[in-house]
Amino acid sequence: MTHLNNQNSPFIHFHQRINFQFDGKKYHGYKGDTIASALLRHGIKLIGRSFKYHRPRGIYTCGIEEPNALVQIISEHSEPNVRATIKKIYEGMEVESQNRWPSIEFDIGSVNSILSPLFSAGFYYKTFMGPHKSFWKKIYEPVIRKAAGLGKPPKEFKAISSHLHHNVDIVIVGGGLNGLLAASSLIDTQYDILLIEGDNQLGGILNNSSKINEINGQRPQEWAKETIESIKKSKNIKILNNTLVTTYNYINHLIAVEDKYVGAKPAEDKVNSTLHKIRTEHVILSNGHIERFLSFQNNDLPGIMLGASFEKFICRYGVIPSKEPVIFSNNSNSNSLIQTLLELHIKPKAYIDSRSGEQIEGELFELIRKNDIPLYTNSQVKAAYGNKKLEKIVVQDSSGGINEITTDFLCVSGGINPDVHLFTQSKGLLEWDDKDLTYKPSKSFQNTITLGSASGQFNFEEIENELNQKLKIFNVNKIIIKIKSNTASRYQIQKLWEVPAHKTSMWSKSFIDLQNDVTTKDIRQAISEGFDRIEHLKRFTTNSMGTDQGKISSINALGIVSDLLDKKVNEVGTTIYRPPYAPLSFAAIAGRNSYEFYDPERKSPIHQWHIKNGAVFEDVGQWKRPWYFPLSKSETMYDAVQRESKTVRESAGILDGSTLGKIEIKGKDALQFMNLIYTNSFTKMNAGSARYALMLGEDGMVKDDGIICKISDEHFIATTTTGGAANVLACMEEYAQTEWPNLNVYMNSITEQFATFNISGPKTRDIMSKVFPEIDFSNQAFPFMTFQFHEFQNTQLRIMRASFTGEMGYEIYVPSNSALKIWEQIQEAGKEFGLTPYGTETMHLLRAEKGYIIIGQDTDGSITPIDLGLNWMIGKTKTDFLGKRSLTRSDTVRPDRKQLVGILPLNKEDSLEEGQHILLNESLQTPVPMLGHITSSYHSPIMGHTFGLAVIKDGRSLIGTKAFASTSNQKTIPVEIVKPIFYDEKNERLVS
Amino acid sequence: MLLIECPYCGPRDQSEFSNGGEAHVKRPDGSQEISDREWGEYVFIRSNPKGLFYERWVHSHGCRKWFNCVRDTSTDEILKIYKLDDPKPPLKDFENKIQTPSGEPDVGSGNFTVKK
Ligand SMILES: [Zn+2]
Repeated sequence: MTHLNNQNSPFIHFHQRINFQFDGKKYHGYKGDTIASALLRHGIKLIGRSFKYHRPRGIYTCGIEEPNALVQIISEHSEPNVRATIKKIYEGMEVESQNRWPSIEFDIGSVNSILSPLFSAGFYYKTFMGPHKSFWKKIYEPVIRKAAGLGKPPKEFKAISSHLHHNVDIVIVGGGLNGLLAASSLIDTQYDILLIEGDNQLGGILNNSSKINEINGQRPQEWAKETIESIKKSKNIKILNNTLVTTYNYINHLIAVEDKYVGAKPAEDKVNSTLHKIRTEHVILSNGHIERFLSFQNNDLPGIMLGASFEKFICRYGVIPSKEPVIFSNNSNSNSLIQTLLELHIKPKAYIDSRSGEQIEGELFELIRKNDIPLYTNSQVKAAYGNKKLEKIVVQDSSGGINEITTDFLCVSGGINPDVHLFTQSKGLLEWDDKDLTYKPSKSFQNTITLGSASGQFNFEEIENELNQKLKIFNVNKIIIKIKSNTASRYQIQKLWEVPAHKTSMWSKSFIDLQNDVTTKDIRQAISEGFDRIEHLKRFTTNSMGTDQGKISSINALGIVSDLLDKKVNEVGTTIYRPPYAPLSFAAIAGRNSYEFYDPERKSPIHQWHIKNGAVFEDVGQWKRPWYFPLSKSETMYDAVQRESKTVRESAGILDGSTLGKIEIKGKDALQFMNLIYTNSFTKMNAGSARYALMLGEDGMVKDDGIICKISDEHFIATTTTGGAANVLACMEEYAQTEWPNLNVYMNSITEQFATFNISGPKTRDIMSKVFPEIDFSNQAFPFMTFQFHEFQNTQLRIMRASFTGEMGYEIYVPSNSALKIWEQIQEAGKEFGLTPYGTETMHLLRAEKGYIIIGQDTDGSITPIDLGLNWMIGKTKTDFLGKRSLTRSDTVRPDRKQLVGILPLNKEDSLEEGQHILLNESLQTPVPMLGHITSSYHSPIMGHTFGLAVIKDGRSLIGTKAFASTSNQKTIPVEIVKPIFYDEKNERLVS
Repeated sequence: MLLIECPYCGPRDQSEFSNGGEAHVKRPDGSQEISDREWGEYVFIRSNPKGLFYERWVHSHGCRKWFNCVRDTSTDEILKIYKLDDPKPPLKDFENKIQTPSGEPDVGSGNFTVKK
């Protein structure tokens, strides 16, 4: 089928054959081909099935604006929704069509086309409301999900991308005629410039059409080649090809994605795409224009294509999609297509123009007459027909007569729009141009310059003027550019949005959005139902909500709406174009923040030992903490936790507490600062002693807890919860800087500098004395809540007598480098005493038996220290601390606040469930009075049954009463409300 | 993404900073003497104007310093950045031009032409 090639195209390497597959069949193209151009070379028109109605669809455009020709690339981890008009082929590429079953030629879903009344505007909201709620989930949704949609998500893939930051002075978006002119005028200036082009070569319209004959006396290709060479040689301009600017943010911040594998199979182990994050002073938008289509019956048939795209396929990709196309236009943009065809000795089968003979440009009229092309003026294409591809069109001529023309191809042009997406993303204002019938950039909101057709300036002889005027701010030399064009000297268009149907049928539809299968009838229906605001109409009909954002059709929809409402288009307004300009992959966005780098894992210095000893891990924030240590594969979590906690109570256990936050506070005013941050008073505390402390928010609610060690009035070390470490440090810094800058105080995180071991149980003192024989661990020498520094094996340890298990115990702070060694020594020494390592679950159980709360489990940001019964921790004599005033607010002192209590099941075999409600009556008859809920519950090996902590309204006054707890199987169990302490209430073991 | 000029480090991307809400909200002195209402206003009430706004930022992924900023919330334009101990610049220093990006009305948001 070589007769369909345009060998004149310099961009296709006809001597380099490339083999690829489409739907399992083998085809070939040439180096430089896109999937679309290669398939057109073989006369393939049917590329996919449409979103809702499964109608046959082909290639509608030749670029990024493509609504139809989306394919799945099997050879790239089955990447879906790839535009066939952009993606270049490579040897061995496997491509599949989408949204068809069982095959593209015979598709069962196309019955949807017959069921189309079901799928009309707003069908999601209306059709599937009854008869029962579950119908949606169980019947309608799965059926619709299967029937409607785009490509299939890939099952597994591993894409690699990287991010690159740029700080430049000027970014030129689009390396077409105007982009090249702007760049060449800025060669070797003081500006740092990025010239960004989506295609793999610069040139734009010079490559895509025959619109321009001559630039400054040179053939356009020669001029482009020379200009590009000189830009490449410049010291200040960097060119990024294959790079699409997707986003224009505030303060001239652009996001662009670069495809590193154009025309090649992406390597599995190399960066496939680069996301460029660009901050610039100025942006020059020279990203051109997009042709729009026209609505008429069955304007979606394969074989219908935009006119400028048809020309681009010929010039840029060297393929002539048809030797006898019919052209239908309402504007002067198609003139150059006729030129291009005639130069290749191809005579269009007919030229149909909605404009009158007088309106059509004289040159064009002459050309058509000279070449004897059948001309229909004042005429419109009413409908297209064919079985899975275009076979004939119906034309209404100037006298109203209906003519049928047999043809395999129809080129359509409904006018051109400046590509304003990026300009509107930058918050620039648009203005409707009544003459050119399009929205054009009017007022920039940022340092944005638009050039050429991107600015709505469609006439080549104006370019010189515009460039000189708009680039003046860069003090460039006067630009002299003389362009001889092939096309009409002035862009001219006649209003036409939709051609009314000449006869209706179940199958015939006039589309306004090809990708989302929205018809002009849907628009009319939406308006008749009151959705006459453009943003409402868009959501109700899903018009322009596809991945193409209605690039070729959204302005047409505005035109149709404005006619229906009898308003001007600028009164109808426009919907907002949102980033990204075109879809980009999550892999590109994620960059290196993916896989193992997505959420970093933090590990304690003892981590390897935990693994060796069979720990099962729990995620606590980013930390990996041992959850429990099963003795064998057969020991369940329940058994392990019961065993671990029993061992702690009977002999001894050790917990790796390294993840606890540790903050060091120093400075002349450290004491005063700590008194302001925590509820407790540290003034009378002796140096070398420690205290359990609470931190509140200014609203009086408990935010964090920890142990504060006072080394001196000018030096403290605070521990925080594992999850609260960063927030506590940030809070201290904030108050130190913003509220009390007069205080001389500094703070720093030392969490990762020190490992922490919590060792407790009745045998602890024996173990400690064995490991550290030179230290006196007697109560007299080392009392409860004191700490000491000790030199040990060439490192300094801080040992504290403290416990949160309720047993006597110590906390050992070890510099991380020595931590594992000392941990192993303790394990060794502990063997004879039955020392067991235990994890977070046992820790929680042991704490709960003592009524020690867990921040974030027993508190939820709405609990005060008074609610917890921790009044003793509030420094009564202090005039101020964070949240103090809130503790006497009327809301914080009301008696019916939720308070912490303990819960015991009356039947010991019943188990309490976390999150279940506490009720005063057995009945679950709604409305059930909400008293509060169980915050923690465990099975206690020492009590032999479950117990819980709960926060319930006025809980303390209910202590001793009988109540009920709800269960997850809609029952209640009888419980008793008790004090929130279940073990060693007098703390005798703690201080033993 | 905003470009924020940390007074200590220079211009950096917004992602390095955290916003700290309204600036110049002073924590009441002698907080035990003031009424529930006054204290409640300090804890809970912040203004949320469309237009000029004094706000706080912290360079949390940088020098960890807090500083103040005047930003036009309708355009996101940062008009002034100053250190905590610098005096509060008076409103009259700034032109309060509620010129929203899409020419929306002074109150609310959405598409101007549609709202008409
Ligand atoms: Zn900084």
